[in-house]
Amino acid sequence: MSRRVLVTGASGLLGAGVARRLVAAGDDVVTLQRRPSGVAAARDVTGSVTDPGAVAAAMAGRDTVVHVAAKVSVSGPAAQYEAVNVGGTGTVLEAARRAGVHRVVHLSSPSVAHAGTSIVGAGAGPADPERARGHYARTKALGELLALAADAPDFRVLVLRPHLMWGPGDTQLTERIVERSRSGRVPLLGPAAALVDTLYTDNAVDAVVAAVDAVDRVHGEALVVTNGEPRPIGELIRGLAVAGGAPEPRLRLPAGLARAAGAVIERVWDAGGLGADGDEPPLTAFLAEQLSTAHWFDQRRTRQVLDWEPAVSVDEGLRLLAAYYRRP
Amino acid sequence: MPTVDGDRTLHVLDTGAVLAEAGLTPDGTILAVHGNPTWSYLWRSVATATVAAARSGAGPVWRVVAPDQLDMGFSERLAHDRLPRPSAAGAAPLRDDAGYRTLGGRIADLDALVTTLGLDAAARSGQRLITLGHDWGGVVSLGWAGRNQDLVTAAITLNTAVHQDPAEPIPAPLRAALAGPLLPGSTVITDAFLKVTTSLGNPPLDPGVRGAYHLPYRSADRRGGIGGFVADIPVGPGHGSHAELQRVANDLASFRKPALILWGPKDPVFLDRYLADLLERLPQADLHRFETAGHLLTEDADVAGVVLRWAQHALQPAAVPAPSGPGSPGGKGTDHRPLWSFLDAWRDEPTTALVDMAGSSRPPVSWSRLAGVVDAMAVGLVRLGVRPGDRISMMVTPGLDLTAALYASLRIGAVVVVADAGLGIAGMTRAVRAARPDWVIGMAPGLTVARAQGWPGRRISVSTLPAPLAAALGAEDSLYRMAAAHAGQRYADGAAGPVHEPAPQDPAAILYTSGSTGPAKGVMYTHGRLSALAGLLRDVFDVRPGSSLLAGFAPFALLGPAIGATSITPDMSVTRPATLTATAVAEAAEAGQATILFASPAALRNVVATADRLSAAQRAVLGRIDLVLSAGAPVHPRLMAQVARIFPAAGIHSPYGMTEALLLADIDRPAIEQLAAPSGGSGQDGVCVGRPVGPVRIAIAPLLEDGSAADELLEGQGATGVLGEVVVSAPHQKAGYDRLWLTDALSRRDTVDGLQWHRTQDVGHLDGEGRLWIEGRLQHVVTTPAGPVAPGGPEARIDALDAVLRSAIVGVGPQGTQAVVAVVEVSDGPDRIRPGLAPTHLAAAVRQAAAPVPVAAVLVTDRVPVDIRHNSKIDRSRLARWADGVLAGGRVGTP
Repeated sequence: MSRRVLVTGASGLLGAGVARRLVAAGDDVVTLQRRPSGVAAARDVTGSVTDPGAVAAAMAGRDTVVHVAAKVSVSGPAAQYEAVNVGGTGTVLEAARRAGVHRVVHLSSPSVAHAGTSIVGAGAGPADPERARGHYARTKALGELLALAADAPDFRVLVLRPHLMWGPGDTQLTERIVERSRSGRVPLLGPAAALVDTLYTDNAVDAVVAAVDAVDRVHGEALVVTNGEPRPIGELIRGLAVAGGAPEPRLRLPAGLARAAGAVIERVWDAGGLGADGDEPPLTAFLAEQLSTAHWFDQRRTRQVLDWEPAVSVDEGLRLLAAYYRRP
Repeated sequence: MPTVDGDRTLHVLDTGAVLAEAGLTPDGTILAVHGNPTWSYLWRSVATATVAAARSGAGPVWRVVAPDQLDMGFSERLAHDRLPRPSAAGAAPLRDDAGYRTLGGRIADLDALVTTLGLDAAARSGQRLITLGHDWGGVVSLGWAGRNQDLVTAAITLNTAVHQDPAEPIPAPLRAALAGPLLPGSTVITDAFLKVTTSLGNPPLDPGVRGAYHLPYRSADRRGGIGGFVADIPVGPGHGSHAELQRVANDLASFRKPALILWGPKDPVFLDRYLADLLERLPQADLHRFETAGHLLTEDADVAGVVLRWAQHALQPAAVPAPSGPGSPGGKGTDHRPLWSFLDAWRDEPTTALVDMAGSSRPPVSWSRLAGVVDAMAVGLVRLGVRPGDRISMMVTPGLDLTAALYASLRIGAVVVVADAGLGIAGMTRAVRAARPDWVIGMAPGLTVARAQGWPGRRISVSTLPAPLAAALGAEDSLYRMAAAHAGQRYADGAAGPVHEPAPQDPAAILYTSGSTGPAKGVMYTHGRLSALAGLLRDVFDVRPGSSLLAGFAPFALLGPAIGATSITPDMSVTRPATLTATAVAEAAEAGQATILFASPAALRNVVATADRLSAAQRAVLGRIDLVLSAGAPVHPRLMAQVARIFPAAGIHSPYGMTEALLLADIDRPAIEQLAAPSGGSGQDGVCVGRPVGPVRIAIAPLLEDGSAADELLEGQGATGVLGEVVVSAPHQKAGYDRLWLTDALSRRDTVDGLQWHRTQDVGHLDGEGRLWIEGRLQHVVTTPAGPVAPGGPEARIDALDAVLRSAIVGVGPQGTQAVVAVVEVSDGPDRIRPGLAPTHLAAAVRQAAAPVPVAAVLVTDRVPVDIRHNSKIDRSRLARWADGVLAGGRVGTP
C-alpha cells in the first residue's frame, strides 16, 4: 500500500535522493525545503522547517515523515543551528503528531554521541548534548533526543546517523576535498592512518528508504549508518582527491598542531563573520579531530534492523565518483 | 550468630536470595572466606559468575556464601582496649586478652556461620559444599574443611600458606609489618598495610575497585581487625597461634576430598615455597598457576571461570581430567619399549652412538661408552639422593653431557625438566619456578643464573668445579665425578640399591613451549608417550638402528639413543638455530657418518646461505645424506629447492608438530612443489602440512562467529573445507600440561571415541584428499561482521607479492565487528617506504591479493616481529596492539 510521505530538506542530495526513490516505489511524496527540490512527481512545499505554518501545510494528510532538513556545517553562530536543528525538529514533530503521522525517520549524526576520543567499532550510544562538540553536534543531539522522546507505539520514530557521506554531487565533504586538493589546501594530519567509516551517497539513500520500511518493525532507537568499510583517512582523502581529478595531497601537518590551528581559525572565522554562505574556513578544530582520530562503527545492529546492505563499495564508489568528475 | 564472646553480627555476601528469586534451587554452596585486609568484595566475580551460570541453565546451580570475617569488612567491630600485638604460646586459644580473634577463633566463627545458615544440615542432606579461601582466609577455610571432611565436597584455595618452615625467612613485606613496634602503625593507625595490599594488582587495580577495597577500613577504629590479623600470624613456635596452625596443616594432610589450588606467582608474600608445601600436603590437588597474576589473583585472572569449571568436575569425579599427572600411557602396554633399551642391548657395541661437535671437537662416543656413562651417572644420582618422581631441571646444552644426564635421569625414574635457553633468563626463571625442580643440573653459567635468580632445587654441576666455585654455586656433586667414581657399575644390578623400573604411565619429562603466544607452558610426557614417539620416528621416517641423525633441532636431538640411531650434535648456538652453517653440518656429518639431517627452516636458510664455503669433499659428504627433515615451521618451496641442491640424494620432508605433539603430519618436497605450482591451483588457504602420520587422528572443531572453536569435532568427508581448530589424538602426544589445570582441562575437553584429544589452538582445514592446511593460531583469528577470518590464507597470498617480504593479518576493534588490517614488511627496493600507511599502489596490490577478505588498512612496518626459537612465528598479538594504536590516530613508531 502506498504511503503518504513528507520529506524535509529535499533540496539537498540525501533528501532529494530519498524523495525520488520513494516516488519511484509508488509512494505519494511531498517535499519541504527552502528552494525547489527538483524532484519530479513530488509536490514541493517551499518553506523552512522553522516556519510552523509551512510545516503544517506540508504535513497535511501525511502518514510518514522523513526529516532530513538541518543546518549542516562545521562553523557559524550557535543561534542558526539551534533554530533549525532543535526548533525545526520540534516543529516538525509537533506538526506530525497533530496530522496523525505514525512513522518518523529522523536523520541525525554520529557526532551526537561522541566527543573527541577515538571511536573503534562502537555502537550508536545515546546522544549527549553535554559532551557533543561544536554547535552542529550539540544541536543535532538535542534534536535527536526530542525525536526519540516523541517515540510511541502509534508514533514510531527511528533515527539514522549517516557518517561522513560522500559521492557525486555531495557538497559537504566531497566537493570541499576535491576543490581544496586542486588548490593544494588539504593537509593530511599526522600519519593520516586513523581508521574512518564513510557512507557512499547512494547507499545512504537506500538506507533511509529501508528505514521507512523498518520503522514498522523497530522503533525508538538510533542507528549509525556507514559503508561498513573503514579506511585510513589519508587513503580516503587521497581517493576523493584523485577521483576529483586533483593531485594527491602531500602536505602533512602534525595532528596536534592542526587541531590547535583549526581552533584558532574557527574562532576568527566566527567572530569576523567571515563564514558567509558556502565559504567555510579551511580547517576547523572539529574537522581536524574528525580527521585525526579513529571513527568507525559496529554495523551489525544497523544492518539487522534495516535489513539492508550497502550496494556500492568504497572502491566502486570512487570509480563512480571519478566518472562523475570526468563527465563533460 | 553465637560466637566465643557472645552473639555477633556478620555481613555476608549471599547469592541465595537472588537464586530463589529466579526460581533456582542450589545444588550446592561455595563458602568463600577472604583474607587480610580484604572483604567479601573479593569474591564478587565468583558470585556474579555462578549466578549467571545458574541462570543460563548450564551445569549445577551454586550458591555463594562469602562472609566478611568479624572485625573485618562490614561485619561487627570488636571492642579492643589496646592495639594488637602478637600473643605468646599458651595464650587463650580463640581470642586474646584484648579481644582480637585468633586463628582458632576465626575457624570457630566460620563453623558458627555454617551452623547458623544451616549449611551443615544441607550438606548432610546431600547438598554439595565447597570451601574457597584466599590469603589467611585460605588457612581459615582449609582449617575448617580439614576438620569437617564429612560435610565438605571439595576445597579450593588461592594463594595462602599453612606452614612456615622455621629454616626459611618470613617474606620481607610481612617482616616489615610484623616488626613489633611498627605493627599497629602500619596496620591500624595508618592504612599502609591496606594500601600495599591493594597496590598488588597485575595490572594495577582500577581506582574505583581499589576504593571499594578500602571502603570498610576508612578510619583507625575500623582497622583493628587488620592489625589483629597480622599480629596473629604465627611466625614461630613461640607464637600463640602456632599450635593451631600446626593442627590445620596436619588435618590438611589427611584431607581426602578433591582439592584445587589457584596460584598467582607474582605474590611477594605467598611465595612458591608455600605452594610446594601445600602440594605436599594435598597430593591429590589440581593446580593452576596464572603466570601473570599475583596476590590479588581474583582481580588479575578469571578465577571465577576456573572455580565454576572445576566445581562441575568435582561433582563428577570420573570426569576430572588428570591434572598435572601422567594421564594414560601412550600406545598399547604391550609394545612399550623402555627409552634405554638400545643402551642396554648394545652396551658392548664399539660402534658410534654419539658425536658432539660443540666447542673443541671430541672423539665419537661408542654405545658401550655411552651406556657405561649413563649407568654410572644413574648410580651417582641415586646415591646423591635423587628419588623416582624427583624433578631435575637440565641447564645443559645439547650434546654428550645432556644426553647422558637425560638418560641417567630417565633410567632412575626422575622427571627431566627442559626449558630451552631461547626463553631468555626471565622466561626460564618463570618456567623453572612453575616446574619447581628438586634438582638443577647445569654447567657453571647455568648454575650461576640459577643462583642469581634464586631458582629452587639442589644443584649438581656437569664437570667437577673447583671447590670454591662449587661452594659459591651450591653444587653438591658433579656428573663427571659420578661417571668416574661409579664407572663399571650397573644401575640394573642394584649398584645404587633397590632398582626402580619406571612404568609407561610414569612422568618422564616436562618440555617447555617456546612461549611465543604467552608465558611458556610445561608439557608433561610419560615414558610410554616418549617411547611411542621414538617408535613413530622409526616407522615414519625409517630412522633405524644404524641410521645416523644429525639434529639441529632440540627435542629430536635427544631421541637418538631411544631410537637406536647415532646422534650427532653440530657446532651451533642452540638458542639461535640460524647460526648453523653448511660447514658445521658437513663436519658433523663426516664425523658421524650422518644419514639424516633434522633442522628448522631458519637453520636451513643459513645452511643455504653459507653453502658456497663448502669444499668439494664436504659437498660429497652431504651428498650421502638421504633424508632432510625441516621441522618447527612451514618451509617455503624456494628454500626446499635450494636445500635439495645441497643434499642431492636426500628426500626432503617437512613434518608438522608442536611441543605438545611433536610429530603429527608430514609432507614431502614433491607434494609441496606440486601445490605451489601455478598449474597446481590448489585454491586452498594457508600452508599445507600434509597428511597425518602413523596412528595420528586429526579432527576439526569449526570456528564460531565469535572466533572460538565449537565443541563438536569433524573428521573425514564432513570436515573437508571447514575452517576450525585443529584437534589431534595420538599415542605420542602430551600426557598433560604441568600445573596448569585450566589450560589442561580446556586442551583435552574432547572425548570422541574415548580417546584423549589435544586442542592445538592452530586453525586450519582439511582438503578433499585429507591433507591438513594451517591458517594461523586460534587467538589470532579476526572476527569480522561477516564471520571469522584466519590470517594464514590472506597472508600467504600477500607474501606472494614481489614487493612484500613478510605480512601479517590482524584485527582491530571489538570482537565480532573487527576490521582486518594487513601489516607488511616490504622487500628492499629503490624507494624506501616509510613505516605507516602504505602508499596507494602497495595498498591496492595487497587488497587485491587478500580478496575476498576485506582489508580496511594496509600498514607498513620495518620489521614484522617473529619468535626467537623458530624465527617464523609471527607475534600477531603484538602487531594487533600496534595497529590498533596507529589506526586510532596514534604515533607510528615500531610494533
